Order: sequence, then C-alpha cells, then structure tokens
Amino acid sequence: MANTAETIIIGGGVIGCAAAYYLAKRGMSVIVLEKSDNIGSGGSSRNGGGVRQSGRDKRELPLAMYAIEHIWPTLSEELGMDVEYVKKGNLRLGKTEKHLEILSHLAEVGRSCGLDMRMIDGKEVRELNPYLSEEVIGASWCPTDGHANPLRTTLAFYVRARALGVRFITGEEVVALRKVKGKAREVVTKDGVFEGEHILLAAGYESRAIANTVGVDIPMSKKLLEALVTEAEPELFPQMLGTAEADFYGHQTKHGSFVFGGSSGMEGVNLDNHGRLATSSITAPCICRGIMKYVPKLSDAKIVRTWAGWEDQSVDGVPVISFVPEVPGLVLACGFSGHGFGISPAVGLMLSEMILDGAPSLDLSALRYDRFCAKI
Amino acid sequence: MDRSRDIGPFVPGPDDDLLICRCEEVTKGEIRRAVHAGMWTMTEIRRFLRVGMGLCQGQSCTKLVKGIVARELGVSPATLDPETSRAPMRPTEMHVLGDEKKEA
Amino acid sequence: MERHDLIVVGAGPSGLSAAIEAAKCGLDVVVFDECARPGGQLFKQIHKFFGSKEHKAKIRGFRIGEELLKEASDAGVQVVLNATVLGLYQEKEVLVRIGDEIRHVKGDAILVATGASENTLAFPGWTLPGVIGAGAAQTMMNLHGVKPGERVLMLGSGNVGLVVSFQLLQAGCEVVALVDAAPRIGGYGVHAAKVARCGVPFYLSHTIVRAEGTDHVTGVVIGEVDKSWQIIPGTEKHFDVDTICVAVGLSPMSQLLTMAGCDMADDPKKGGYVPVCDETGATSVPGIFVSGDVSGIEEASSAMIEGRIAGIAAAKYLGYVEQAAEENEVHALETSLDALRQGMFAPKNRGKDLRETEEGCPISQNLLRKGYLSDEEVFAYPGVRKIAGVHPVIECTQNIPCNPCQDACPKGCITIGENITSLPVVNPDAQCIGCGMCVASCSGQAIFLVDEDAGADTATVTLPYEFLPLPKAGDKGQALSRSGAPLCEAEVAGVRSAPAFDHTNLLTIRVPKAYAMRARFFQPMEGGCAEWANQWTVPETSAPSFRGPMTIC
Repeated sequence: MANTAETIIIGGGVIGCAAAYYLAKRGMSVIVLEKSDNIGSGGSSRNGGGVRQSGRDKRELPLAMYAIEHIWPTLSEELGMDVEYVKKGNLRLGKTEKHLEILSHLAEVGRSCGLDMRMIDGKEVRELNPYLSEEVIGASWCPTDGHANPLRTTLAFYVRARALGVRFITGEEVVALRKVKGKAREVVTKDGVFEGEHILLAAGYESRAIANTVGVDIPMSKKLLEALVTEAEPELFPQMLGTAEADFYGHQTKHGSFVFGGSSGMEGVNLDNHGRLATSSITAPCICRGIMKYVPKLSDAKIVRTWAGWEDQSVDGVPVISFVPEVPGLVLACGFSGHGFGISPAVGLMLSEMILDGAPSLDLSALRYDRFCAKI
Repeated sequence: MDRSRDIGPFVPGPDDDLLICRCEEVTKGEIRRAVHAGMWTMTEIRRFLRVGMGLCQGQSCTKLVKGIVARELGVSPATLDPETSRAPMRPTEMHVLGDEKKEA
Repeated sequence: MERHDLIVVGAGPSGLSAAIEAAKCGLDVVVFDECARPGGQLFKQIHKFFGSKEHKAKIRGFRIGEELLKEASDAGVQVVLNATVLGLYQEKEVLVRIGDEIRHVKGDAILVATGASENTLAFPGWTLPGVIGAGAAQTMMNLHGVKPGERVLMLGSGNVGLVVSFQLLQAGCEVVALVDAAPRIGGYGVHAAKVARCGVPFYLSHTIVRAEGTDHVTGVVIGEVDKSWQIIPGTEKHFDVDTICVAVGLSPMSQLLTMAGCDMADDPKKGGYVPVCDETGATSVPGIFVSGDVSGIEEASSAMIEGRIAGIAAAKYLGYVEQAAEENEVHALETSLDALRQGMFAPKNRGKDLRETEEGCPISQNLLRKGYLSDEEVFAYPGVRKIAGVHPVIECTQNIPCNPCQDACPKGCITIGENITSLPVVNPDAQCIGCGMCVASCSGQAIFLVDEDAGADTATVTLPYEFLPLPKAGDKGQALSRSGAPLCEAEVAGVRSAPAFDHTNLLTIRVPKAYAMRARFFQPMEGGCAEWANQWTVPETSAPSFRGPMTIC
C-alpha cells in the first residue's frame, strides 16, 4: 500500500483521531501513525474525563465553550457510539479562605469571557451535592461543565475515522520529519517513509523531539500524573469535581465507578522508572485520603485499579495549535498540559479547518507556537 | 500494525450471546464485533468494552478473550500482548488503601 | 521503612521452600500470603505425591505442607498471613495489606511465588451456580469438609481433573463422567485407572455442549468433537448432574512481575504469561526472583525444588553464600529437579503422541482413551508376571518419575533402577511375603497383591482402598474390573491398616480364580441381597456409589 496521503497525522491519541475523523469526513485521505501498539495510548486513555470550561486560561476557553455548545451534546449521535457525555456542572471545591480567593478569581475570568460561573457557599454546595463534607466551605459552580468517557471518546473517533477510510498504523514510531523543496513533506519512521501534503504533529510530549528534527522547538516538559478507579457504586452525584488547588479531581462514570486523579505533591521528583510508566507506592493512598476528606461516603468504595500517565506540560500551561510558517505544511497540536480531553473535539475540528480551509473558524492566534519568549 | 488489513466481514455466530466477562457482563458477540470495529489489541478491547476491568481484573476471562480476539484476527493468541497489570492486585477499600501504617 | 533481606510473596510450597533455604543461609526473610492459612494448595492435596524419596514421594501433600511449615519455623522464617501484596513497586518495595492497614515494606531481594489460578471455559450455562473449578471443589472438600455436589461431571483429564475426580468419589459424590476435548487423557495413567475402576466413564474427544438449569445446574449435555473441535451433530449425551467441575488448566498469576517491569513472555508451554528468568529464577530486574507455578505451570514437587534453588540464588545475590557453595547446592537441586522432568509427561514430551515406553513396551491406547488397561494389554509390562503364590502385580505402564515401590519391598521383589521414570520390574525369583508395603507405597494405587491359587478354586487380590466406611472381613460385595464393571461376587478376606500404610488400607478380597487378573476393585454390598442383585443390571459404564467421606487428618 502506498505510504502517501494528503495528510499524515503523527499520534493516534484523541487529538489525532478527532482530526482524522473531521478530515476524512470532508473527503481527505489520511494516514495516522501511532508509536504505541494501542490507539489512545497516552493521556487520551489516562485522563479524568473532565469536560469543563471553568478554570481554563482565557486563551483556550473559546475552544472549550465551542466544544460544549456545538459538539459534545451531539457527539455520541454523530459518532454512533455512546461517549458518556454528562453536562451536569463542575464544582471546584474550597476548604479555606485562600481557596475561595483562588476560586473567585477563576470565576471572574470565566465571567469575563461570557461563561456562566459563580461562587456558591458551603450550604449551596451541599444542596447540589449532599455527599460533600462539611470541610468544603465554598466552591465555584459552572453548570454547563461536565464529563465524558475518554476511552470511549478516543476510540469512537478512531472507529468512525477508520470506517471513513483513514489508515491507522500502530507500532509505527516516527523518528524525523523532512522538508522537501522547502515544505514539510516526509515523515520518517523506524520502518519507512510516509509522505503527505500536510503533516499534523499531535504526539503529546514526543512532539517536541519530532518537531526538533525540522528546527522547531516547543518548550514543554513531561509530568507524571496518577489516577484511580473504584468498583461500580450506586449513583451518588453527577457533577465533575475539582479543587481550588487542582490537586484532586474526579467524577462518577456511567458505569458507576468513580474515577479520581490526584497528586502526592512529589510528582516532580518521583523516580521515573527508567522512562517506563509506573505508579508510585505513595500516590494512590494519598489520593484516597484526599477523596475521603471531600466525599467521606466513598471510604468503603473499593479501588480496583491505579494508573499513571504523562502530561505534556507546556511552559505556559496552554497548548500549541499552530501552523509553522517556516515549515509550510506542518501543523502543531501539542502541549495540552493535562486539559486537552475536554476540548479535543473542537481541536480536531479546528485542525481540519486549518488543513482544508487554511484557517480555523475560531481565533487560535494566542496558541501559536512562537509565542514563547524569555521573561525579561 | 496496519489497521486497514482486511480481516473479513463480521459473521454472526450461534454462541455470540455467551457471556465471557462475568464481572462486566460482556458477551462473545460484543468482543467479536469490537474486533471488527477496529479493536485489535487486548488493551483496546478492554477500554472499549470494559472486559477485564471489573472486580476480578481479568483473572477469569483474559484467556478466553484472548482466544476470541486472536481467532477473529487470524493470529496466534500468544502474539497478543496482555493488558497492563495494575495495583492494587486485589480490590481494596479506599479507607484501607489510604491507611498507611505510620513508622514507629 | 521496614526492610528485609528477602520478601517472599506467597506461602505455598515454592515460596516456603525458598524462604527456608534463604533463612538457612542467614537471610532475614518475611513471607506474605493473602490466605488465612499457609501452604498454598498443598493442604488441599490429600493424595500421595510422586517422585523419589528426596522429592517426598508417597507422602501426602498436606503432610508435606506440615513438614514445610515446621522447617520454616525452625529456620526462623516469619510468615505473615492475611497479608495481601497489593503492588510491587520500584526499588523492590511492596505495598502489603494486613488487616485494615497497608504497609510499605522493602526487600533487598524479592521472590514472587504467587502460583496460578484456574482457567475457565465458556459454554452455554457456564455461569450457572454449580459450575465450579476443580480447585474450588478441592477446597470445599478437603479444607472445609463440604461436598461440592451429589452428581458431578468432570471436565478435564489432566492430573488435576483425575485427582479431584478421585477425591470427589472419596467424598461420597457420584462422578458421572470424565470428559476431555483432547483425544488422549492428559494426566498420569495410574490416576486415570483408579478413577476408571470405580466405574467412572471417560469421554475423550468430547466437550460440554451446554449446562442446563435455570438458577443452578440440573444437567449437562456433552458431545463428541471433530478435528477442528466442532461438535459432531447427533453425538450429544445428557447427564443429570448438580455440579460441573472444570479442570482445564492453570494460568500463572504473574501480574506483580508485569507491574514490577520484569521482561515477560507468553509461553503456552508454561501456561501463559510468565517472567523471563534464568535457571535460578532470576528475572530481568536484578534482585527479583520467581519460582513455582508463577514461572510456568508444573507439579508441586518441582515447585518446591525451584523454590529452594531461588532461595539459594537470592542468598548468593545478597552475598550470604559464596559462588562455589551456591553452585554446588544449586547443581544438586537441579539434578533432582531434572529427575522429575523426565519421562512421558516431561515438559519436552508435552503434546507428543508417544507409542512406546523407554523400555520398548507399547503404551496402552485403552489407558489413554478409556482410563484403563485391557485385560490383555496388562501382560505387556514388566511389573505384571504370573508367579506361584502371592506376588505383586504392578500395573504401572507409563514412564513417570516415581520409585517408592522399589524401596518399599523388603525382599527385593521390585526393581526400578537409577532412572526413576523406568517401569518397575517384578523379579520372579525374589520371595514375596505379602506384606503389602508396596501396595500402600504406590502413589498411583497401581500395585496389587495377587495369589492366583488361594485354594478351593479361588484367588485373592489385595488392593489399595481409601474409602470409608472400611469393609470388614467376611463382608460380601462385588468385584469390579479395571473399567469398573461388575465382574463377580467377592468376599472380603481381610483388611489391613497400619501407620506405615498412611491411611491406604489394604483390602484383600476373595474371587473365583478366573478373575484373579481382572478383579481390581471392590464394591461392598449395600442394603441386602435384593438390592445388590439389582445392581447387576446397571450398564457397564455407570458409576457405583460410595458412601461416606474420606478423612485423612
């Protein structure tokens, strides 16, 4: 089979799969190259499933608002598979006055962008969610936020894209990009060379090294995060939960299990297990203690799995979604910094517009690759 | 692995209703259909259908699922990598996992 | 943080053996096991083990367990029970749940001996209550004294299926059939023979079509399979059962090793996904060792030796023994392990259709297909001789690693030789005194004492008997053939029990002379002559019922 397509996408995560879907839907030929043996191997299958606008940076908020207004509500229908999207709000919880200050600021940012987001007191918090402990003295509340199943969403985009003729190749590790006659053209893998008019680089943290091969650097780091899931529990509450310090987050899934992410505070210095993803022995117990303080009722819930994932943390905390003028044909979509899932359908759509129409319908100029500069 | 390889059409089988993953109540037919939808690895099957994600963590059904997926793909079961093993090895209550013995 | 020289995960035969050797070398060893009792599966094993003396042959599994526990305690091994290892993390740290708290414990070395879990087979109705694993049946019977059911169908003719079938009979269950999709019986012929002579029919090349019942098993349908494992229409057979026992192999429980980042390989010959390790059990992660079923499914006897080897290797890794000493000890153990891995059932012969023994005797196809030797075939083996007076008849016809009978005979009637897989030879010139030690010593219950001319046109047959209630001299009943078919009237001439026999009773029955070489089991008469007479009309393949549980403790 010819290794040529109009667009070559590097990375079979939710961004790559979504972009492949929207491109193929408009008739473009696409090849997706994924280094791992599995589709959605990275953060796409390891995140907490939040679909939220609240707490986001102004620069990416339009993507989140667009996704929630125009894509998420009908996504299951469009893809023919339940992505378990629930739009029942996000409570970002505070236990101290300092927390409330942080939350008030986030709410102000949201409101300034037209988001329905406000502060509520402990009493109102427990009216919305009676299972939250008395330690919670207030929260920010965004009723249009929610959550979805990231595993199903990623695979649904994959299934539909594949059905539309997108060629997915797993276990295909990209080692370099090559310009031909001044344009990004070739994608060199360990086993061969692929060619495309357009090359979309959506490979998470690995994007940095690949972009380096055509002289482009995206300042980002790799951060290990951990999460856990319980056995199925009776239905307790529908909201997505987060905290002022962003140290715990989670929700109850359609299946009944609770998925919670959290940190031990040692993330930056955990042993990296020789580059092999591994959980730390102290994180899951810490997440458990954290959760029980917010939701005491879950103390008897059984944890069935814990896992770790890498986050592609851009230096300013928002992604790069951008053309690279000096490497025509290359489109970057990386550095999602741990909150890419909620905006992924919108990002996929915008990427398809960038490739097919030459520009996205939303203004993404604040997410350009060349925005980074020294502090003085 | 090129996911465009033709593995033939899905042909309904007489035992498609057979329950394979008891914890998550997944049938043989669902697993076979998932392979035809593009789930070609044990990990993808697991994420797509929740097979082996229940209380027993696949202790009972992994070999059965592997056999079904391999047959559908026309490969040897031994070529399919198993899902990742994750702690805790036994389901553990949150208050227990959170209760670390303090050093004396 | 709590730290030990060696943490052993799993207090089964292999883990305990490793812990003992390591502790003897001076290591501080702790063993964690999630169960409330130590010993792993050993305490469910009420049958006598195979091998030679060094492998603890002719000792019952649970006794070996008791010996191991004592040895461990003498060696100063700390065994922590109800202690579930939840994870094996970087830097050889385990997270262990003890009661309602968790502890972080580090080991300078870790030995994972977590054993295996039972495979399942999916067939319509397999989720009905009453479909259970053979191991579960063993746990119910032998640990908890609970009968798994009244009428049982066993699926799987490997040693587990055969041994558990016999134990079900001992517990007073009726085993209606022993079924296997393979064309040949997978386990030892002697294990099959002792089940067959109780009247259990074998259905090879058969599998379960469906289990019947709405809220529990009430019946089962089996059918014959063709070469592509499809049911041949019209071959279906129905049995009324309340229990279906599944013994279709084991899978290594190697999850902790995957989690620890050890190199793994899917090896169907070892039962599944196992860590890549060297002959001492060292994995790709320095300081993490494995032994027993988790590194490849074998028998408990080999698991114990593997454990000892890995325990010494861990001691060597931590500098507690010198290289030379380690090599000597490991070499001796490897020789012993190698002896167990010989013969017809050796890993290297798995799946092969062998036709002859090492001695050139034909391997009985009846034994492989029906579970018993035909009356003619039996004379092809060196343990079966016609000799005047009482003499042993050894129906041991496959090369399996076992030789206690040779040592048991005080008169030198039985020879096996250096190679413990050789068939036992009965020496026609030696003088048998009828002591019966050989009968009781045979873990396969394949030795009988026969006196073909005991006067008045009768013969006596002394057979191993492990059922209760024990018949008494003078009791009447019927003699059964090797296939379990009623042959003739028989009277109990005597019953011998002795501590040296270790609960294998010696039942001597008197039968008409013509049946001396055919009568191999005894069924006591039940409830008077009329009923007894009725039993003559049952078809050859139906199972006689045995009463009362067998208790060995």
